[in-house]
Order: sequence, then structure tokens, then C-alpha cells
Amino acid sequence: MTFFDQLMLHFDEGVTGLFAQWNVYSSLIFTLFAGFLTYQIVTRKDPDAHPFLLARQAQPSAVRQQGESPVYRSQAAPHGMPLNPGLNVKDPGVSKWAKGRDGDLRDIWRQAVAGVQEDGPSKGATGRILTVLGSENVTEHRLGELTRQINLIGQHIEDQGGNRVAIYLPNSVELIVTLFACAFHNLTAIVLPFDQPDDAVISMLRRSAADTVVTAPGSFPFDHVVKSYPSLRQLIWVVDDGSAHLDWNEVPQGTGGSVNVSTWQDIVNDGPAEAGRELPPLESQKEARDVTIFWQSKPGTAEEMVRFTAANLISAVAAQIFAIPTSQRMGPSDLFLPADSLANTHTLVLTLAALYSNASVAFNSVGAGANDLAMCTRGIAPTILVATPAALLKTHQETGSALTSAIARNLHSLLTRSLTQEGVMPTASAISNYYDRYRPAIGTRPGKLRLIFTAERVGAGTPPLSSSVLSDLRVFTGARIVCALTSAKVAGAAAQTGFYDYRVFNDSRSHFGAPLTSTEVMLRDTPTVKNADGQSRGEIIVRGPCVAGNEAALGVEGQIREDNTLAYL
Amino acid sequence: MDYVEKRVAQEASKPAAANDSLFTPLNVLLIGALLYTVYTFIKPKAPIALPKEEPAVVFKTFTPRTLLPFSGENGAPVYLAVRGRVFDVSRGRNFYGPGGPYANFAGRDASRGLAKGSFDEEMLTKDLDGPLDTLTDLTRDELEALQGWEDRFSEKYLVVGKLVAVGDENKA
Repeated sequence: MTFFDQLMLHFDEGVTGLFAQWNVYSSLIFTLFAGFLTYQIVTRKDPDAHPFLLARQAQPSAVRQQGESPVYRSQAAPHGMPLNPGLNVKDPGVSKWAKGRDGDLRDIWRQAVAGVQEDGPSKGATGRILTVLGSENVTEHRLGELTRQINLIGQHIEDQGGNRVAIYLPNSVELIVTLFACAFHNLTAIVLPFDQPDDAVISMLRRSAADTVVTAPGSFPFDHVVKSYPSLRQLIWVVDDGSAHLDWNEVPQGTGGSVNVSTWQDIVNDGPAEAGRELPPLESQKEARDVTIFWQSKPGTAEEMVRFTAANLISAVAAQIFAIPTSQRMGPSDLFLPADSLANTHTLVLTLAALYSNASVAFNSVGAGANDLAMCTRGIAPTILVATPAALLKTHQETGSALTSAIARNLHSLLTRSLTQEGVMPTASAISNYYDRYRPAIGTRPGKLRLIFTAERVGAGTPPLSSSVLSDLRVFTGARIVCALTSAKVAGAAAQTGFYDYRVFNDSRSHFGAPLTSTEVMLRDTPTVKNADGQSRGEIIVRGPCVAGNEAALGVEGQIREDNTLAYL
Repeated sequence: MDYVEKRVAQEASKPAAANDSLFTPLNVLLIGALLYTVYTFIKPKAPIALPKEEPAVVFKTFTPRTLLPFSGENGAPVYLAVRGRVFDVSRGRNFYGPGGPYANFAGRDASRGLAKGSFDEEMLTKDLDGPLDTLTDLTRDELEALQGWEDRFSEKYLVVGKLVAVGDENKA
């Protein structure tokens, strides 16, 4: 035997000897091994967004000014191109290939009434408009009836010589209807934050030079206003059904002699049944008027009055629609609930986007302080929610503290892993079904919710949401969360986190993602914080068609992180 | 074939070892392989980091004299000015760089030359410290040609600065 043969014989004996040890445990281990591999391969999913897209979310400009950072834009809005100005509305009869109009608020209501225009299974479907007054009382408003209200209310205010209409209402269908009535009847709308002290209301009326107020009895200091704000000409009470029998038109002796008082219900019910069924024609319509919004910062400081042009608002709406990937766009199957005050442009713009997308919209009379999501969603099962950071934190805290058992916590970390490591939103599976019992009670049918919008308000002392809290909330609710940076002069949002961005960082306040397609962000040197090559930090400056005056300094210091997302410094 | 038969017989003749312990060398190997595979699947992945992009060029104010070094000599970038705007034409180095047909324009105010379609030395403003070329004597056709060049440059190249006369640097 040669040496080589000897070696091979040893080898042969060795291998045979090893496998001779095969026993029942070996089979067991091998089965486990094969099972694990099969499970991994079968359940393997591609991440929702390619990791490269998350690793660099905004594009910097190639040239920067001295003392400034490069200008950052969304990947979907290349430099050198105009930012997204509007909705690209195609009027009937116009060539399919022609460029559409940017549109204004009127086109949003027209679209809401007309229904889905794209060919497909949902062509012609319209959304529903609901008012939620508690778990038992959900009222649906027919779109045709709302169109009639838009026409009658708008006509009434116009006939009485109104020009600047202040809306002082909680979140309600009347608020939106008045806004559209102003748009269709060439009136300037002024949206006041609800539930303010008397003095603040009077000051806001005075500053905005309102001549007409649409409001609800009980919350509006009528006597006080009449005495100290003589320019008021007209008042419309939105009376709820319970007190509709009272005679609201009667003005108490000695007060409000010059003010014309009427109620919403009388205007609508006294109008001829056939009146106002059709919206004013598109042809020869006047230029859309501005909308004035009051931005509330910290309590005790005066509200900042901002005039948004129709173009500002529509650009913001278009950008919000565009920010959601095509397959996940809002549509007729969605129920949208603004659980934050509609006096915030972020909430308002998203609600308009939902109306334009023919989603159903539910109104619940929450004020800015509403921070209980379970309360807000009683009686309905929203799929899309706008919530305040405070409400989300409360939900996070309540749900998190209920996760005490070892099983629950392991399930939670398993689902979190799927989100943060694999970039996959967990879908219905045995694991997530079991986890359902720990989910917060948002809506009557848990699991329906798919998207939550929330926003940091610059300078308003909003509680911070860290990226790990956001990630926990995604697991708790099974919904994606978009966290935006909002400011007084920017309609909608200045920047917001990506729809598919689930990453967690070691931070106390999450980043704000990339600019929208209607904004560009730049950082300007401050006395203490300077830009340098490859390091962008300074005061946040936002420009774009959705910014009042086209450019706004936010007054906070920010930075662009490694992944080109915007964050506070 | 002899060998195989011999080995089979050899193995068959061995007494069947009653072997049902969990920790045989084979099982240890199998457990090791299983644990390693599980670990590779479970271990946290490092986030993907893309290489950092080139830092942005800072927009500068040039005078004819400070623009002069940017002629592409010794690997310097190639800049040229058109009606007060300084373009970085380094990507077109073959045309505007040293030895190229348009090399005269590099580091200079090229407005007049482009308008007149001439690459001669006398198209350039001689006095580097004097006022900028006002171009008031150009005909309509020439201005149109210049506009054409400017549009092309704006499409292709970056504007990295502005050109002002010496002494005007700090004026807005």
C-alpha cells in the first residue's frame, strides 16, 4: 500500500465511523436544522423600501452659498426642476395629454363629488362624510346635501355683504363646508383655533379684520365680541339638533344691534329645495382667495397670523398625496379621521388630500388638546389617522405598560425585528394574530388602521417622539407612521419621514425625513452653529410653493444627518 | 471494486454499537452547524451606509483677476464667465481646457467671444482691473447667439460663482 492509499483508507474509516454514530438525536437535530432553513426561506420577504433609498433620502445641490448648507430636496423633485405646484387638474374636454391646472380648493370638492376618475374597479366611487358624536351616533352626510349647504351658506354670506369669514368651530363638517363655501363664493376664509379664551378670540378677529363669524353657541363670547369688536357685521350659529328649536335669531336687547344673526339650519332649511344643487360653473370663475390661519405656539404667546394663498395650500395637498407610494395611496376604501385640530394646516391639508383622493372622512369634534385616541375613534374604524404626538405618547405608554408577560414581550421584539432589521411591516400571521390582544383600542375594528400622521410643531413645545417610540407604535397599531416637521408659514409639512422608513436610532427625538416634493430645505449659519464642507447644520430655512411668502426661517437649529434626513440639532 | 467490497464486508462484520447518547461527536457537529446558521440569520445587520457625496462647491464672487487661475492648467478646474455668471466647465476640459479649441476662454469672461462666434485673443477684456465688458455694442443676432450659449451652459454646467469688476466684490 502506498502512503496515499493509507491516507484515503484512514479518511474512509473516519467518515464511516462518524456517520455510524447517527442516532435518533441526530435525526432530531437534522430535522430542526432543515425546518429552520425552510422557515427562513419561505417567510423571507424583500424589505418594503430598498435600503439604499433609506440610506440617502434627500439630494443636496451641487453648489452652496457661503454661510449656508447645500439646498436639500426630495429624491422625487430633482434640482433644476420646479417644485410640485399643484394637483394637475384635467378639466373635462381638455386633451388627455395637456398639462393640467394647479387647481384650488374648489377642485378638491369637485373631485370629492365626482368620484374616482381613473379607470378601474373603483371608478366613480365617492367617499363618505361622517360626523361622529360618540360610539352610538355616527351620521352620514350626503355629498349632494353638502354641496347644497356650500352653495346656500356661501350665497347667504355674500348676499349679506360678508367678505372676510372667520370660522370658529371644532372639527366638524360645517368647518369644511364653510371653507369650501368661501372658496366657491369669492370670500376670504379665516380659520381660528377653537376653544380659546375670549380675549384671544377678539384679538384674532381684530387682527384678521373679519366681518362675518361662523361659530357654535356656547363657545363664542357673543356679547363681549359685539361690545369690543364693532366691525362684526354678520354671525351664523351652527346649532346642534338638541337646541335647534330655540329662537337663535333673536338678539338680546341692547347688544348686537348692527349684527345680522342667523342660524346655519335656517339658512339651509329655508332655501328652496331645488336651490344650490349645482356647484358654480368652472368657466369664468374668479381667482381663488387666500385662507388665513392662526398658528398657536406655546400657551401665553400670541398666535401667529399667516395668510396662505390658494396656491400654497394646493401645492401642500399635492405634495402630501405624492408622498404616499402609489400602491398605498388614499382611496375610496379608506376612512380618514383627523384627530388633531383642523386649524392646524398639517391636519387641514391632509384632510383636503383625503377628500381629493375620494377617501371617506369622519369628523369628530376634538380640540387641539384631544389626546386620547381610543376616545376619538369610538364608533368608527378609521384606516388613516392624524394624531398629535401627545396622543401617540399616551397610547404608547398605556399599551407598553400592559406588555408585562414574557410571551408578549418576546412577540413584541420578534415583530420589532421584522420592522427594523428586515424593513418589513408585519402582516397578518399566526404571531401577529396572537399579538392582537395587546394592541391599543383604536377604532371599533382593530387591525383596520394602516397609517398614522403626526407632526412636530416648531416652537410649540410638542412632546418629542423618539424613533424607538415610533417603532413600538408601529408594532402596537400595525400601522405605518409618518412624522412631519410643521411650522407656521409652511402649509402642510416642511419635511416628513418616509412612508417605508422603520429604522430605529439611538435618539430622543426622531428625525423628520426628507423634504416633500413641494419644499426644499437649507440650513443657514447662526452665531453658534456653522456649516462646513460635508457638514450641514444651522437654522432651518424652508422654501417652496407651499410656503407663505415662498421662504420661511423656522427659528430652530437643525442638521442634515448621514442619511440626508433633517433633524433638530 | 475490490476495495469497495472489502470495506463493505469489513463494516458489516462490526458489531452494531448501541449508541444513543446525545453528545456523540456527530451530534455535537450537527448542533454546532445548527447554532451557527441560526446565529447568522438572527444577528443584527449593520445599517447600510452609502459613501458620502462630494461636498458642495461654495458659490464665490470672482473678479477677472481671481478668475484667471481657473484655466485648467496643472489640473485646476476650468471656469469661464458668461454675462457675470461663472460656469464650471471642467467636464468639457477637452474643449475649454489647455490645448482645446476654446482654451482662450478658460479663466476669462467669454461673453463677447461667444456672442461673436470668435475665439480670438482680442475678444477678451484686456484690462483685468477695469470694468466688466458691458456688451452694449452687440447686434441683436449676436445677443441671441450669446443667449443660446448661456442656455446651453446652464443646462450642462454648474454655476459656481459670479463675476464682478475689481472693487465691486462687496456690493450686493
